[in-house]
Amino acid sequence: MPPIDELTILVPVDISVADPPGLDIIDHLEPLEVVLLGYFPVPDQAEPALIKDEYEDEAESRLVAIAEGRPDLTEVLVFTHDREATIDRVADQYGCDAVLAPGAVTDIGRVLVPIRGDVNLDRIISVTARLIEASDATVTLFHSVSADADESYGEFLLRGATERLEEFGIDEDRVDWELSEGGNPSQEIIDLGNEFDIVVLGESEPSLVDRIIGDVLSRIVDDLESPALIVRDTE
Amino acid sequence: MSVDGGELERTLGFFEAMTLGGGTMIGAGIFILPGIAARNAGPASSISYAIAGFVALLAALSLSELATGMPIAGGSYHYVNRALGSLFGSVVGWGMWSGLMFASAFYMVGFGQYVVEPVPFLDGRGYIILLGLTGLALLTGVNYYGTEESSSLQNVMISAETLVIIVFVVLGVFFIVPTNLEPFAPSGAEGVMATTGIVFISFLGFEIIATVAGEIKNPSKIIPLSMILSVVLVTILYVLVMLVSTGVIPYDRLGDSPIPVADVATSYMGPIGAVSIVFAAIIAAISSSNSSVLAASRVIYAMGRDGVASEWLNVSHPRFYTPHRAILTTSALTAALILVGLRVDAIVSLLAEAASFSFLVAYSLVHVSLVVFRRADPDEYDPSFSLPSPLYPAVPILGVVLSVVVVSQMAPVIVTIGTGIIVVGVVWYAVYARSRVVGEGLLREALRGPPTEVYRVVVPVANPETQHGLLRLAAASARANADAGEPELVAVNVVHVEHESPLQNVEAERADHQRELLENAQAFADEMDVTLRTRALNASDAGAALLDVIEEEAADEVLLGWRAEASQDGGVASPTVATVLENAPCDVALVALRGGVGTPVGLVTPGRDATSVARRVAEFATVDGTVPTLLAVVPADGDEAVARRRAADRLAEAAAAAGLDPDEYNTEVVVDDDVEAGIRAALGEYQTVCVSRSAASESSDNPVAHVVAALTGTSKNVALVRGSGRPTPQSVD
Repeated sequence: MPPIDELTILVPVDISVADPPGLDIIDHLEPLEVVLLGYFPVPDQAEPALIKDEYEDEAESRLVAIAEGRPDLTEVLVFTHDREATIDRVADQYGCDAVLAPGAVTDIGRVLVPIRGDVNLDRIISVTARLIEASDATVTLFHSVSADADESYGEFLLRGATERLEEFGIDEDRVDWELSEGGNPSQEIIDLGNEFDIVVLGESEPSLVDRIIGDVLSRIVDDLESPALIVRDTE
Repeated sequence: MSVDGGELERTLGFFEAMTLGGGTMIGAGIFILPGIAARNAGPASSISYAIAGFVALLAALSLSELATGMPIAGGSYHYVNRALGSLFGSVVGWGMWSGLMFASAFYMVGFGQYVVEPVPFLDGRGYIILLGLTGLALLTGVNYYGTEESSSLQNVMISAETLVIIVFVVLGVFFIVPTNLEPFAPSGAEGVMATTGIVFISFLGFEIIATVAGEIKNPSKIIPLSMILSVVLVTILYVLVMLVSTGVIPYDRLGDSPIPVADVATSYMGPIGAVSIVFAAIIAAISSSNSSVLAASRVIYAMGRDGVASEWLNVSHPRFYTPHRAILTTSALTAALILVGLRVDAIVSLLAEAASFSFLVAYSLVHVSLVVFRRADPDEYDPSFSLPSPLYPAVPILGVVLSVVVVSQMAPVIVTIGTGIIVVGVVWYAVYARSRVVGEGLLREALRGPPTEVYRVVVPVANPETQHGLLRLAAASARANADAGEPELVAVNVVHVEHESPLQNVEAERADHQRELLENAQAFADEMDVTLRTRALNASDAGAALLDVIEEEAADEVLLGWRAEASQDGGVASPTVATVLENAPCDVALVALRGGVGTPVGLVTPGRDATSVARRVAEFATVDGTVPTLLAVVPADGDEAVARRRAADRLAEAAAAAGLDPDEYNTEVVVDDDVEAGIRAALGEYQTVCVSRSAASESSDNPVAHVVAALTGTSKNVALVRGSGRPTPQSVD
């Protein structure tokens, strides 16, 4: 797969709160394309139009305040019953490659890229390459071997991914990898991730159970204190 | 990107719409009412369900078209208010609100029955009412604090509930005792119709699909499909439930049970049957009641928006963003209705019937509204799904007739209550709403029939000094085409902004200037007694924005003001003007106005714009009531007589193509080997000159271009005309 021409990142922000946290990451994402999505969550009980009538001006000025001094943003404001659906829709509409879950960060110096398997791997690698190519950030590729799986497969994945990053022009000194046998990938990613500046995760289609009880990815993202960049699976 | 600020998300697909519609419909009605229905109509009460389902289907069909036509919150209330005006809007709004409260109270009393009855040591109406109130209080609390993205859990519950009913029906069919179904209709056709009025409440809910039309993806397909399919499937299910119920337990015995479906299930599935039915009934009651509370707050929101109800109700909670006042008010009134059950025996059927009454009235007015919308055909009504003939007008007519028939068979007390609510609506309109509402209904337009065609001239305005002249000319042009349509002008002003973001605030000063300019245009149009609409735009590319408006308005002509600073090649000064002039899909005239129009002359040159030149010159002549001249200047090229005849033919051809009668114009043919000098000489006496845009710019050493360039320095009015390229209609006479 060829590298992504122009990496576009969607940054969703809950615009109903007065002071959305952790947005200085946007400044670290330049010169990438950034779509700033201000979503206003509307409870099932309210007509979205009612909330729009009441809060549109306020929401707009908040969004403008965030966008101020960041000239290359595309701003979108949406009143929605369903945050996830809105993020998906807007990401599709603006051709976003990844969605950012904000978190406290001062610099994108160390990037953690957990790899689960083949799924979406090409995109994860090319997004990572694009993300750091203009900086001197380092990447740690990570794979946790599940209890009943073959360890050599994990090593194979990580070596392959490292090579791909080098093919994209990332110096080999900047890439290392870590293989864990802890057997609890989610928790390991959270623990390890908090030591990094940003975690790049691959999106996966949630199963029916995931839909009902909440999927693994969103639990990881919720528990991470570092920002997470979720690479969309557009295939 | 949308220009009007925030967007609203469309999140509902087909599956979601079906679960929403079906889930709201399949509710307490089918678990509680079979007993009452059986007592009133015997086994034939299944026919009551079928009729009620058919009435609902008719309403669903009309609502589908209306919902795709104007997907705005409020559902039935909104369509009636818009079509029939706020008197009927008030009646339907109040009717729907109170109907939803009756329904909600009905569900909660049913909920109480299903909880209290199976428990041996709980007994008596007091407990039922107490449980109903408790359930309502819980629902109110949940809705006050607000819920988000709870749809997956809801879907699981509704699927489970539906599954229980399907198992009940599928197994139950084997336990039907044929003799139980005889006599089939002990109370005759009247009993069947009267029961229809009670069980109609079981179908409430399909409308929610129309109510949330603005949130549905691909609305033109999904709205009608999910509405029709959910009503049809639910009707089939209800009819089967009723047949099984009366087939398994004799109808007179069934009629005594407050939890009929559970009793039926017990008889062939034992305690497991009873437990699952009780479980399903409780879920159904809660989900239906919940939907009613939500629907009620949406109706109130829509009423507030239109000035029919107080905006006070519409303020959302500062932290939970729920319409908490609307929710609390609805719940308080619903609680009062539940409390009535302490005193009134037949509370369940009364509440059901009263709710049915309200909605039957609302839906018959919805049918009428559909007819009104079709006939008045307002601009904002553009349904992506239209009832095909003969469904239109059959559906609305049949819908009204059937609703009236069902209502006429209702108990006198219900008709009294229902009429009372209608009276409240009327009084409310008279004392509160009448002075507040903005906008009239469409009844008058509907009676007049579909509007005549409009002949629309778009006039971009920017300069308060010159806009009167332009508007006068535009008005004359539009009026000259009165036989093609009602004359209408659209004045457009574009404020230039750097970034075309919806969040960009235009500086107040420029916005004020724009408003003043357009208000001034409006006032001038009123003075001239011509219809004018104004469009205010902010855009980074004024030309593209103007083209969008021209396209949207389906303009017949565009009239652009011009400072007449043509360069030598006839190119026009501003890029905005050039964009419109080159790309507008209709006739365009670029006019430099310097004085009165007087007698205009059209220089007819060979080429595609000849017809347009003839049309414009004839239109401009009407300003001062003069007779225009069509002018051709040709070189002799040897035989002067032949040249003269050919030129005269060309003029006659252009005039005929423009639809001009021979007495509506003069012709002048000049033969001169020096065409430029010939034109200059011929133009002398005329105050206004129309020239083809293409002739003026073909090449820089073209005599017409020279003349136009020279004219820019004079006091004459100059119009560069470009045809649309579309074939011009031939004159009939």
